Order: sequence, then structure tokens, then C-alpha cells
Amino acid sequence: MNRFMTLAVCAAALPLAACSSLGGEGYGLGDYLLVRVHRVSVGDGGMSVVAPRPWNERRRSILFDDVREVEDWTLNGPILDGISFVSGMKSGRYLIRQRKTADQQVPKFRDDMTPPEIAAMLESLYRVRGGAVEFRTLGLQPRPFLGANGFQLDYEHLDSDELWRKGRVVGAVINGRLYMILLDAARAHYYNATLPDFEAIVGSAQIRR
Amino acid sequence: MCARCLELSRRSLLIGGGVSAAALSTGTAQARIRPADMVPLIGPGYRPTEKDEQGLWKEMERAEEEIAGSNLLIQDPKLTGYLRDIIGTVGGPAAKDFRIYLAHIPDFNAMMFPTGFAVIFSGLLLRMRNEAQLAGVIAHESGHFLRRHQIRSWRDMRRKSDIFAIGAMMAGVGGAAGGVYLGDYVQLAQLGTLLSLFQYSREMEAEADAIGAKLIAEAGYAPIEMANIWEQLIGEEEASARYRRKRRRRGSLFDTHPSEGSRMVDLRADAAEVTVPGRSYNAHRDRYLATIGHIRPMLLDDQVKLNDPGASQYLIETLARDGWNGLLRFYEGEIWRLRNRRGDDLRAEQSYAAAVAYPDAPADAFRWHGISLMKAGRATEARAAFARYLAMKPNAPDAAWVRQMLG
Repeated sequence: MNRFMTLAVCAAALPLAACSSLGGEGYGLGDYLLVRVHRVSVGDGGMSVVAPRPWNERRRSILFDDVREVEDWTLNGPILDGISFVSGMKSGRYLIRQRKTADQQVPKFRDDMTPPEIAAMLESLYRVRGGAVEFRTLGLQPRPFLGANGFQLDYEHLDSDELWRKGRVVGAVINGRLYMILLDAARAHYYNATLPDFEAIVGSAQIRR
Repeated sequence: MCARCLELSRRSLLIGGGVSAAALSTGTAQARIRPADMVPLIGPGYRPTEKDEQGLWKEMERAEEEIAGSNLLIQDPKLTGYLRDIIGTVGGPAAKDFRIYLAHIPDFNAMMFPTGFAVIFSGLLLRMRNEAQLAGVIAHESGHFLRRHQIRSWRDMRRKSDIFAIGAMMAGVGGAAGGVYLGDYVQLAQLGTLLSLFQYSREMEAEADAIGAKLIAEAGYAPIEMANIWEQLIGEEEASARYRRKRRRRGSLFDTHPSEGSRMVDLRADAAEVTVPGRSYNAHRDRYLATIGHIRPMLLDDQVKLNDPGASQYLIETLARDGWNGLLRFYEGEIWRLRNRRGDDLRAEQSYAAAVAYPDAPADAFRWHGISLMKAGRATEARAAFARYLAMKPNAPDAAWVRQMLG
């Protein structure tokens, strides 16, 4: 969910133009860790995956991320593409840290949510925190994930930086916890370029028993 | 995070401070500005003659070019033509010169740029109950142009903040710091950046109100609708803030105004003053709904999914003053479902059940009705609702999931 933070922080400071063109300078070596091509555990360790090529893991900061189950990766920088993992989030928790007094809130997860409800929770995440002004659900279908009855959600959204992005989420609620892997990338080029990696990562995912 | 962000934002704060100082210094108590005294300061086909204003126009022409090409604009010719017709009616002497753009942003906002182009946010169309209200906002914004407020406030600010190059100012001003409320959409904000240069004083807002009331009354719109818009805006912001147990946020469409109470009094007095006895005035609600009706589901969707239950509930109840229907009941249910507090499942369930009883219930109402029935263990009824959903929307993006539920 880190890209939401990145965009929000840039947005609060100045128009995007300055952030996106210069953003690269800010994301120095210290902000990312290399993800090598072998099995790694993600989030709080509740799930493990294997990436087909090296990716970059966004280093989690004490300031912004206290959602232990959420981890973000990117290949070309968070403006262009990202894969996020939710490694077994408990009922009653939120995907992102937010103030109780914020006017607009990302809904909380509940373990009795059906896939359309999880999809709606994600849509609000994009609208509230990602600055999406349009959000289109392209498909919602059953799909096995981590050996359970899960779902696949496909969507695209126009963000206030005037870029169309496209995403796919594969997820499942297992023993009352939410497991998801999300791909979200610029619709032009980057989505298609990272989809095979995403599918390989989803295929490799294992739950910690 | 991005290193230059910090540097720029610090600068923008400094300039922002200059702006608010300008606003405060003009905030002396004053008598009501009478609509009759509000003479437009410019005529048709106005072009700037002084050098600084010419420079400003050049920058603004570039800004307009960018905005006109933005993919955030709604291009629906029915809607853009409608807005053009309204500004052509209530735009006073500059009516033929104005350009107007509709941006897809779910916020209550509208703005006029110093060269005479206006940007209306789609969230405004959700909140207006009739054409007279929309015309009121557009006339108010036109009033800023007709009274040359932008150039006046820009000169005033430049004098105070000791910055001479407009380009440098634009690079340095952040929308949020300047006090222009753009919600979480500040990124869009080349707009915010530009607009923070034109912080209107209280007196200017009062002038725009007065001239706006005059313009809409002359066009035959019920002038009291100006006061009603303001009442709705305050009501919504208070509802949202109360809900989160905090004070109302500042900085929206009609910001930097004297106390809300006195503005209401002034707007009502303006309405009485510009009303000609014996003349009939119309709010044109039917025409408004006939024109924007087809995007109302989208506008409601944009608002409700922001999960701001206080504001959304207030808005839906305001619209429902003109009568409940399936669409409004459905979105009422969506508010509770997204809010997701104890007991909200039941509230949502009741709203969906009420929604599907109306002939105009949207397909999605049947889907959510089905889901809530399913969760309540009423499988047979749930299947009937799902079947109805698929019948109404055979190509629904989630059809595969719904078919699985049907078994």
C-alpha cells in the first residue's frame, strides 16, 4: 500500500509534476531492498513467494507503515508499477494506517466479507488514498488461491495525476485472515510487462502453516 | 521522500502565509454590498492593456491549454453544452467570452480563472438540486471575473509578498498551502497552484454573491437558490465534521467569507432586493434532472465510495427532499455497508430491500440485496435477487462470481 503513501505525501507538498519527475532522486538506495530469486517470506511472514526475477522491496518505515501484514514491491518505481502482499490480515484491521478523524476512510476488513465486499474495500482504498477519480471493475471471478476458494479481481483506474492504471488482485480469506497479492501498474506498457511476474509469484505463494 | 518536495513546500508555506495575511487585512466589518451597486467592470471581448495583466493572461492561456487537454475532463457534449448555455445566460457582458470545463472530481468546487475560463467539479453537479442553484454558482464565479477580482487580488498579493516573477510564484505555490481546498486531489493542482494566487477577500466574495444574485434573477432563476446552496454546503461540511467529532474544515467554494450567519442574511436580503414583484421565477428542476440524470449514478458512486458517511448521508437526504427513489435508497445502503459499524449490515440490508421495491432500482441494488440476503441465511431469496441482477446486467464484470453463488 506504500504507493498510496508516496502519492499522498507528494500531493500534500506540491503538484505532481515536480514529484514524479524528481521522485527518483528521493528513492535512493536506502529506501529499497533487493528481492532475490528464491523463496522469501512477505508481510509479517504469513505467506512466502518466489519472484521469477529480482524485484525491489520498499523498506518499511516506522513513520508510515505499521500494517505489518502489508509489503510492497516495485520493479520500475512506485509511480509505474507495484506488487503488494497482504499476508493474513485479521478481522477488524485496515489495509492502511489512517486517522480516525479523516473525513474519508478506507473501510475495515471483516472476516465475513464476500469477494464483492473485498473488491469494494479496495475500490475505496484507491479512491480515498490513491486519488482515483474513476474506477472500473473489469472482472470478478472465483479463483483458487493458497489451496482455498479465492477470487480474482481485475480493474482499472484513472488517478488524479491523469494516468490510467490497471490492476489485478488474487486473494482469499483463510481461517478468518485475508491473504492477497495485488498488481497495480500504469495501464500503458507496465501492466502487461509485469503481469507474467505477478502470475508466477501468485503461483508460487504458500501460506505459513 | 522526494528531496525537492520539502524545499518547495517550505517556500509555498511562506507564500501561503502572505496570501492569508492579505485576506485577513481586508476582513473588516462592512455593510452588505447591494446587488444594484454591482456594475460589471469589463465589457464584451475584454483584453488586458496593462503589462502585468498581459503577462498573467499569457500564463493563464498556457494553463487553459493544459486543462482543456486533461483526461480528467468529462467530455459529454450534453453536459458541456448545458454548462455553456448557462454561463452564456448568466455571464453578464462577458457571457460570450467565457469558456467552461467540467472536471471529473468528486468535490464541491468551481473556479474562475482570470482570463475567463471556469472549471466546474463533477461533485458540484451531484449537490445542486436544480438548475437555478447551478446557475447561481456559475454566476458567482462569473462575478469574480466581471469585477476583475483575480487581477486585483493578484496585484495586492504581489505587492505584499515581494515576489515579482509570476513564473517563480507558480513554481513555488502549493495548492494546499494557499488554502484552496482540493480534497485529496491536490495533485491535480496545477489548478490549486494557480488558484492560490487568487485568494479572494471577504469583500470580493460578497461582491460576487451580490452580482451573482442579480445575474440569475435577470435570467429568471429564483434568486433565493443562492442562499440555499450556501446552506447546503455548510450543512454538508458540518455533518461530515460532526461525524468524525471535529470542527468543520475550512476552505471550499465560498471561502474567506464573514461569519456564515451574516452571509446567509446577506444572501436572503440580496434575493429579496433583486426580486421584481409580479415577475415569475423558476428553479428549472425538471430541466436540470433531465440533463444530468444519466450521470447521477456515477456522481453518487464517486461520492459514496469515498466513505465519508456524514457528508454522504447529508447529501442523499438533501436530494431525497425532492422524493426518495431506488437510486437514493440503494446508495443509502452503500453508505452503511462501507461504514461497517455494528448494526450497519442490518441497516444496509433494509436500504437495499427498500431500493429494489422501486421501479428505478439499479442492477447493483439487486446484487447487494442478494449478498445481504445470502449472509442472513435466506438463500432462496438471495438466488432470486442474483438472478434478477444477471437478467438486468448479463455482462456484469462479476457475473462469473454471481453465477457461482447461484450454484
